[in-house]
Amino acid sequence: MRITRIVLVVIGVLGLLLGALVLVMKQDPAQIVGVGVWMIGAILLHDAILSPLVVGAGILVRKTGRRLPYGILAIVQAGVVLAAILGLIVAPEIYAKTLGVANPTVLPLDYTLNLVLTWAAVAVLTAACCALYLARARRRASGTAPAQAVTRED
Amino acid sequence: MRRLLSELQRVVAAPSRNPRMAVVLGRLLAIAFLLCFGTGLYSHFLQEPLPWMRFPTRPEGLYQLTQGIHITAGIACFPLILGKLYTVFPELFQTPPLKGFVHLLERASIAIFVGASLVQITIGLLNTYQWYPWPFGFREVHFALSFVVIGSLAIHIAVKLPVISRFWTKRRAELAFAEDTAEAEAELEAEPLDGKTATDARPVGGVTGRVLRWIDDTPAPEPVASRRGFLGVIGFSTLAVVVLTAGQSFAFLRPSNLFAPRAQGIGPQNLPVNRTAEAAQVTVSAVAPNWRLSVRNGETQITLTRDELLALPQTAVELPIACVEGWSQTASWRGVRIKDLAAAVGASQDRALRITSLEKEGGYRVTTMGPEYVGDDSTLVALELNGETLDIDHGYPARIIAPGRPGVLQTKWLSSLEVL
Repeated sequence: MRITRIVLVVIGVLGLLLGALVLVMKQDPAQIVGVGVWMIGAILLHDAILSPLVVGAGILVRKTGRRLPYGILAIVQAGVVLAAILGLIVAPEIYAKTLGVANPTVLPLDYTLNLVLTWAAVAVLTAACCALYLARARRRASGTAPAQAVTRED
Repeated sequence: MRRLLSELQRVVAAPSRNPRMAVVLGRLLAIAFLLCFGTGLYSHFLQEPLPWMRFPTRPEGLYQLTQGIHITAGIACFPLILGKLYTVFPELFQTPPLKGFVHLLERASIAIFVGASLVQITIGLLNTYQWYPWPFGFREVHFALSFVVIGSLAIHIAVKLPVISRFWTKRRAELAFAEDTAEAEAELEAEPLDGKTATDARPVGGVTGRVLRWIDDTPAPEPVASRRGFLGVIGFSTLAVVVLTAGQSFAFLRPSNLFAPRAQGIGPQNLPVNRTAEAAQVTVSAVAPNWRLSVRNGETQITLTRDELLALPQTAVELPIACVEGWSQTASWRGVRIKDLAAAVGASQDRALRITSLEKEGGYRVTTMGPEYVGDDSTLVALELNGETLDIDHGYPARIIAPGRPGVLQTKWLSSLEVL
C-alpha cells in the first residue's frame, strides 16, 4: 500500500504541475485569476449555500412530517432530489436559449415545456410509489396470512 | 470553535453519510472522470496531433462514440458528484480543523479537487449550450483543468487508500462498521463522564443552543431505508440525465432526447449545423460561378469545377458527422475519393494534405489531414448529402468527410487541397 500511495502522490503532483503549466502558458494573468475565482465560487456555492439548504430541507421535512411514516418521507425526498438535479442541468439551458442561438439547430427543443412535463412525471411517479408503499404497509398491518407476507418481503 | 464544529458535524450526520457510501459513489465518479479524461485527450490530439501521431480510421464511428461518451459521462458526473459531496459533507467540520502541515496539504488538495471538478463539469456543460459567461478561454482552461482534476484525484486516492480498502467490498464494509461501533462503545465505557466530557455534554447556550435543541427534537431518519433510498435516487438521477440527453449522440436514444442541446434529424437536409455559411461569411464566394477546387502537389496543380468533380468516379459512404460538443448523426455522403485527387497530382498515398476553406476567418480555416485519412477509401470530397446537392450550410460546393474525425476538421466550403 505504501508504494501505491507514493506512486499516486507522484502522479498527482505531476498532474497538478502540468495543469498549472498549461494554464500559465495559454492564459494571461487576468484569465488565471478568473479561473481561481470560479473555483472558489464553486466551492462556496456548494458548501455554503447548496449543502446547508439540503440539510435544512431534510430537517424541515422530517419535522413537518412527524406523523407520516418514514418511508413516505424518503420517497418524497427522492422525488424532490431527482427533480432538483434535472432542474439544475436544464435551467442554464433554458436561460442560454433566451440569449439567442447561432442557428436554429442549436438548442432546438422546448426545454421549459420538457422540464415541466418531466417534473409532472416525477410527481406522478412519486405519488405512485407512495401509494404502493402505503398499500403494502396496510396489508402487512392488517395481518394477512404470514406465509404471504414473507414471500412479499423477499 | 471546536465545540461548534463538532456540533455541526453531529447535525449534518446522516445514515447515508458514511465511508462505504463515499467509496461506492467515489468509484463510479472515478470511472466517469477517467472516461472523460481519456476521451478528452483523444479529442484534443485529433485536433492538435503531435508530429508522430497516427489515428485509427476504423470503426468509422469511433469519434462519434468517444465524444458521445465524453459529453454523456460529463453530464452523469453532476448527480454523482453532488451525491459524493453529500456523503462527505460532515468532513468539512472535522475537529481540529488543521492537525499540521500534512493535514493542511491534504485539505488544500481536496479544495482544489472539488473546485476544479465543479468548474470543469460546469463549463463543459455550458459549452454544449454555447454559452460562455466566464472571463477565460474555454478550450485552454478545460484542457488545463483536466490535468488538475486527474492529479488531485490521484492524490485523493492516495490519501484515502486505507479507508477505500477497508470499505471496498460489502463484506469488508460490514466488518469495518462492526469494528468502529465496538471501538466507540469501548471508548464510552472507558471514560465515564470525566471532567472533559462533562463540559462537552453541557448544552450550548444562546441562539446556537436553541437552534441545536430544535434540530435535536427532529425525528431521526431510519438508517436502512435512508441508505438504500439515497443510493437509489443518485443512481436513478444519473440514469435519467443520461437517457434524457444521450439521444443527441446515440440514435437508439433519440426518442428520449428531451434535454440535449442538439437533436438528430433537425436542420437543412435533416442534419444539424454548427457554423452556418453566413457565420463563415461565404454566402457569396460559395455560390460564385468561378469557383474552382485547386489541388496542388509542388509544381503540379489541377483546378476542378463542381461539374468536373461530379464527372469523376463517385463513391457513396455512410459516415457520421460528430461534433466536439458531443452531438453526432450518421448521414449518406457522395463524392470523389480524396486519394484519387491526390493521385491525379502524382502524390503517393502516404502524404498529408493541407486543406483550406473559403471561410474568411476561424481557427479551422486551414487544417492538416494526416496520411491515414488521405489513403482511406471512405475519405471524400463530398458533393451530395442524403441524395441531394450539398446544402450551403453543409459546405456547398464541396466539403471534406472522413471517418473518425471531429466535425471541426470536416472542412466545409473547400477552396484548395495541397499535398505536403
